[in-house]
Amino acid sequence: MATNAVDPGMGIRIRAGERQWIGRGLSRCSPAVFAAWMAPWLALLGAGVYATYLCLSQGLGVTNLDNRFGFGLWIFLDLAVIALGAGAFFSGFLLYIMKWKEIKAIISSAVVLGFLCYSGAVAVLAVDVGQPLRSWFTFWHPNVHSMLTEVTFCITCYLVVLTVEYTPIILKNRRLKQVPSCLVFEWELHKLIPVLAGIGCFLSFFHQGSLGGLFGVMRGRPFAFREGFAIWPSTFFLFVLSAAAVGPSFVILTTKLVEWITSKRLVKAAVYHTLARTTGVLLTAYVALKSVDTLVWLNSTSASAGFAPWEYYSWKPFGGWILFAEIVVFGMIPALLLLSKRLRTRSGIVTAGALLACTGVVLNRFVMTIQTLALPTLSFDPFLTYMPNWVECAVFGMVIAYAVIVYSLSYRYLNLFPQEKEIAADIVEVADVPVR
Amino acid sequence: MFPFVDGFHWSFGHILFLSVFGGVLALIGITLMVSLRRSARAALSGQSEAIRWKSDFHDLAANELSCRHELAGRVEHRHCHNEFDCRKCETHPKLANAAATSEFDVSTYGLSYPSDRLYHRGQTWVKREDDGTLTVGLTDLGQRLMGRPDSVELPAAGELLHANGQGWTMMRNGARVRLLSPVDGEVLEAGGPDQDFYLRIKPAGAQANLTHLLRGAEVSGWVRSQLERLQILTTPEGAKPSLADGGVLMEDLPKAQPDADWDKVYGEMFLEP
Repeated sequence: MATNAVDPGMGIRIRAGERQWIGRGLSRCSPAVFAAWMAPWLALLGAGVYATYLCLSQGLGVTNLDNRFGFGLWIFLDLAVIALGAGAFFSGFLLYIMKWKEIKAIISSAVVLGFLCYSGAVAVLAVDVGQPLRSWFTFWHPNVHSMLTEVTFCITCYLVVLTVEYTPIILKNRRLKQVPSCLVFEWELHKLIPVLAGIGCFLSFFHQGSLGGLFGVMRGRPFAFREGFAIWPSTFFLFVLSAAAVGPSFVILTTKLVEWITSKRLVKAAVYHTLARTTGVLLTAYVALKSVDTLVWLNSTSASAGFAPWEYYSWKPFGGWILFAEIVVFGMIPALLLLSKRLRTRSGIVTAGALLACTGVVLNRFVMTIQTLALPTLSFDPFLTYMPNWVECAVFGMVIAYAVIVYSLSYRYLNLFPQEKEIAADIVEVADVPVR
Repeated sequence: MFPFVDGFHWSFGHILFLSVFGGVLALIGITLMVSLRRSARAALSGQSEAIRWKSDFHDLAANELSCRHELAGRVEHRHCHNEFDCRKCETHPKLANAAATSEFDVSTYGLSYPSDRLYHRGQTWVKREDDGTLTVGLTDLGQRLMGRPDSVELPAAGELLHANGQGWTMMRNGARVRLLSPVDGEVLEAGGPDQDFYLRIKPAGAQANLTHLLRGAEVSGWVRSQLERLQILTTPEGAKPSLADGGVLMEDLPKAQPDADWDKVYGEMFLEP
């Protein structure tokens, strides 16, 4: 008969059987609290599964998408989560290629986040494209002139890489580690992770870029069309840079969120400083290049297409504020906040900077998908409007719920933050010492 | 896409596309195959225990990795990168004869660490016997950590043990403790908590190489760090630092402090994170 053991960290009871699955020395909430946390997410997942069934059985007619507005909430979600999930490849790059040892503290969490972002994106694409049983067509009969083909191949390959990278994290579970074959395979696979990290960087560079290039090459959409270098429009490089810039910020945000929910510190302040500084530097470069790109577009590209730039912003919902917000509020401000060594030492500033940076990239992806399609392309075209219906929102919610559920299970049973035990044990380290 | 699919052209774009993605997929596949092959080879050649120790050592916190020469005060700060196996350390012979400065007296805490024994960081000791065999036992601190164990599983005579591999296991209050073998050798006889030793071992090779075990001033420095660690581990989470008022360590610590997370304490103190 299973006995109950008191978890001294939180004064709560966890069955001895379950305790064997939870890392040694890690305090976790009781099964009842965990079940209560998971219940609403499971309900949301259920609603999303029903909406998915409707889409797959009846087609996209059950959504508000149509022939004129084919890219809606789902494609926006895809672009946003793929940018935010860049923390996985960029953390891998910093740890395994650049040898930044402090990144070790968050690499597992970054890999899980990357896996969830990419698998969620692929799931939504499967619903959007439809006929998932025929998804192999895209590999067998690809349109080699489309950037989406390159994106499809890269994302599929990278999801395989992330799955392989996730495997040793799972095999490191306390109970699984007792199985010698699991332990040995985890160890041998872990030794080769730098190879996979290198492949991940290569794939991410191209698919993040191609997602941006996809919009930049659309001559029929002068709002999105950009000049560029060789076959790549400027949006190719801006997407790569913006994803690399906010990847570390998304890792900061999620870690801070988990710390807030669990009332525990999981990584040392130095790790946040490193991630914040990285975002600060890359975001500064991104904002500078984005500003130059916007000026070129305003003064040259758009004009040569026969459109006065201000016409794009004459419709109130997408007025000039959105450009100002994207570059200044969610670009320059977080870049300055995270670049400043003095400001970076304040936890609240780091969180605010990371939140602003992530919001900026999400807004950028919104502009590239929704705003691009809403604007008229011919002089007699009206502004289009689009509002997702409940089916689209439910599928969107399903992906969020899926990510929360898998991440919660990973946090509970896997050691996502190796510094967690050390911080809990080191009382002086966790003391709230003001930094001058 | 492929040469045998309708619509394929032998163009530069097609060939580049196929080459790049074929190369990426091949690299992922080769990586997996190499891992599987190495795993199978390691499992078949009985390296699981050695890999387990490497994995556990890799997971130890930075403050648990102090070099023996730091513990003895021969160097100010140095981390071990050799899995606590000084037999393969190039720096160890250069530092071994330097003067030690650690003056901590373990008897202050009522602990006994006789100088005729050598110590392993997994809370075990080794003693050379006159007949050339080695006896292995649990250190004084290790005994106090375990108190009266609920059960003990010892290896049978004839079993081969490897340094830093599993020596024997003990259970206390539902927590399983895996004691690491301090030496390589063959088990001749099993003792237990009621005897002076846990294992009698015939060392591997003509003469036992015990270079990696702690001795002299290293022991006192190590015990001191262990006591500090124990104090932190048994302090409830969120408690503020306090000054100890002296005293001698209890004989049966789990019984004396049942509310502590002993599973966690055992993991840290017996090097099984």
